[in-house]
Amino acid sequence: MRILIIEDDLDAAAAVVRGLTEAGHEPTHAPDGAEGLKAAQAAEFDVLVVDRMMPNMDGLTMVETLRGQGDQTPVLFLSALGEIEDRVTGLKAGGDDYLVKPYAFAELIARVEALSRRRETGSVQTLLRVGDLEMNLIARTVHRQGREIDLQPREFQLLEFMMRHAGQSVTRTMLLEKVWEYHFDPQTNVIDVHISRLRSKIDKGFDRAMLQTVRGAGYRLDA
Amino acid sequence: MRLPAIFRTTPFRLTLLFLALFAAAAAAFLAYIYIATAGEVTRKADREVTREMTSLQGVYRQGGMNALNAAMVERAAGDRPFFYLLLDKDGRRISGTIEESPVRNFKGGEQWVGFQVTETDMDGAEVKRPARGLQQKLAGGESLFIGADVGAQEAYVTKIVRALWGAGALVIVLGLVGGALISRNVNRIMSGLNTTVAAVQAGDIGARVQLRGAHDEFDDLAGGLNDMLDRLERTMGALRHAGDAIAHDLRSPLTRLRTRLEVALLDVEAGKGDPTRALEQALQDADGVLKTFNAVLAIARLQAARNAPDQINFDPGELAAGVSELYEPLCEDKGVEFKAELTPGLIARGNREFIAQALANILDNAVKYTPEGGAVMLRVRRRSSGEIEFSVTDTGPGVPDEDRERVVQRFVRLENSRSQPGVGLGLSLVSAVAEAHGGRLELSEGPGKVGEMGPGLRVAFVLPRVG
Repeated sequence: MRILIIEDDLDAAAAVVRGLTEAGHEPTHAPDGAEGLKAAQAAEFDVLVVDRMMPNMDGLTMVETLRGQGDQTPVLFLSALGEIEDRVTGLKAGGDDYLVKPYAFAELIARVEALSRRRETGSVQTLLRVGDLEMNLIARTVHRQGREIDLQPREFQLLEFMMRHAGQSVTRTMLLEKVWEYHFDPQTNVIDVHISRLRSKIDKGFDRAMLQTVRGAGYRLDA
Repeated sequence: MRLPAIFRTTPFRLTLLFLALFAAAAAAFLAYIYIATAGEVTRKADREVTREMTSLQGVYRQGGMNALNAAMVERAAGDRPFFYLLLDKDGRRISGTIEESPVRNFKGGEQWVGFQVTETDMDGAEVKRPARGLQQKLAGGESLFIGADVGAQEAYVTKIVRALWGAGALVIVLGLVGGALISRNVNRIMSGLNTTVAAVQAGDIGARVQLRGAHDEFDDLAGGLNDMLDRLERTMGALRHAGDAIAHDLRSPLTRLRTRLEVALLDVEAGKGDPTRALEQALQDADGVLKTFNAVLAIARLQAARNAPDQINFDPGELAAGVSELYEPLCEDKGVEFKAELTPGLIARGNREFIAQALANILDNAVKYTPEGGAVMLRVRRRSSGEIEFSVTDTGPGVPDEDRERVVQRFVRLENSRSQPGVGLGLSLVSAVAEAHGGRLELSEGPGKVGEMGPGLRVAFVLPRVG
């Protein structure tokens, strides 16, 4: 994936570039908003990672400018401002996701990969298929190897999210934000309990486990 | 040249402006009075002269020259205030009280004239006074002049005008004095305000204006200033407190992290430790510090803001259902029974995100401290007072009466809870959220002791009634 990182903290940017390269992506770095705008206009990227506060045009203005020009490349905002209002302004300016600094590297990669997938799902899908797992979004049924799996509504949502991001790591925070729509950090890892229930339903009694735990990151659904 | 301070005050300037306007109005008024009265004096003299002339003409027509002369002599001797002069056909004096007619080149008919009479007053000084006169031809060719002294009346008008001028001058002097007094008075009031403002500027945020108890606009201003300062002082105090607290709260976990890294470094250098393990441990510690930092910052911000942002009306039962759905599996996994009693259709007002987090923290604690076989009960109801109450009751060990206030404070963890994970900020955040919504947090005993279990804890998060 071609990823443009627009970040004025050079050390942080170097770490991100290195990490993304190791994860198999092609990162490019721009040191401020003006440079970032030029780079984003000059070439096609799959995802833009934009720091909110930068010299020579801040992140918000940069993304607003790009959106004004019709550029719909997914944007992940990075910010030290973590208040609810800050996140809302970020998303209003055209950001697609918001990550508060400091963040775990696994979190950044998971979110960048989740964003790149967003663009592919342009048309409305009614059927999701990952390996031998099938989800019918209209009938709201799930089958694995033809056997019906009975899921609670929230488990269904959780599995839908995992299937849409199959093969990618998703973090607990992402699940809490995207499936439950809570933006706080619970003291205990309640998400783990929900995942283990889902796992017992979709993996128990089958020869192969699909729902994997990724150490230090979160979970991944493999075909 | 700098004017003395008092002349530069606003009240004094306003007084001057008022005086100037007053003086202009008074001058216009005086001019009007003068014109009106002075004209009237002349017209009155003319009327009297005309009447006397008519009367003497009548005498002449009936009795001729002799009768006229006699009447004239008689009248001049009386107290009539007229001058008389009878002239023959050639204009020579026949008789009268004056030597010659002020009318030069008399052409016949009748002719009016204004002139001056010279008199010697009681002190022997010569006084000239204005007069009006009329000369008329008689039927026999002679002519008669009658004059009247208007000086006496004009002098009266002049006196009035002079008195008015004097009064005007007096008003101006009194105005200046009054203005100065008002300025001094207002100045004294303002100096109270100014002293306070200067004290605050110099850094004494505790300075306040002394109210005079007059309940006037100055007291209103002083009261408003005091209220503003109160609020500023509270906010500054909260911020300072928050800053101190963050510094204090972060120092210990950072010290712990540092020590751990130092020991790990020594171990690795001595070939005893596993570097990867040490780094993982350090990363975990750093995450812990961040978690603490975020929680402390959230608490401090809520406390400083005093009012949670983005408050909307919402259904508290629905919100509680969402949070309980998140925690129910956790209870089941632990072998703790979970029950929820959520009154539907209620309305509460607040920041949903903060309240959900508060509820999550309360449930988190309840599940954490309730042993296997116990129960956690979540209830949402409307109190008879109209307040909305979220309550969580558990069958854990509970919190002794004397410790209940303390556990809400930051970083307080009771002795028997040290084995559980957590930093001791959960309930402090809940309490801060409640306060930021004008609500409160209430801790009381749970269902009581049942065998090994209990007495349990009941935590109530209360939001004020809506509307």
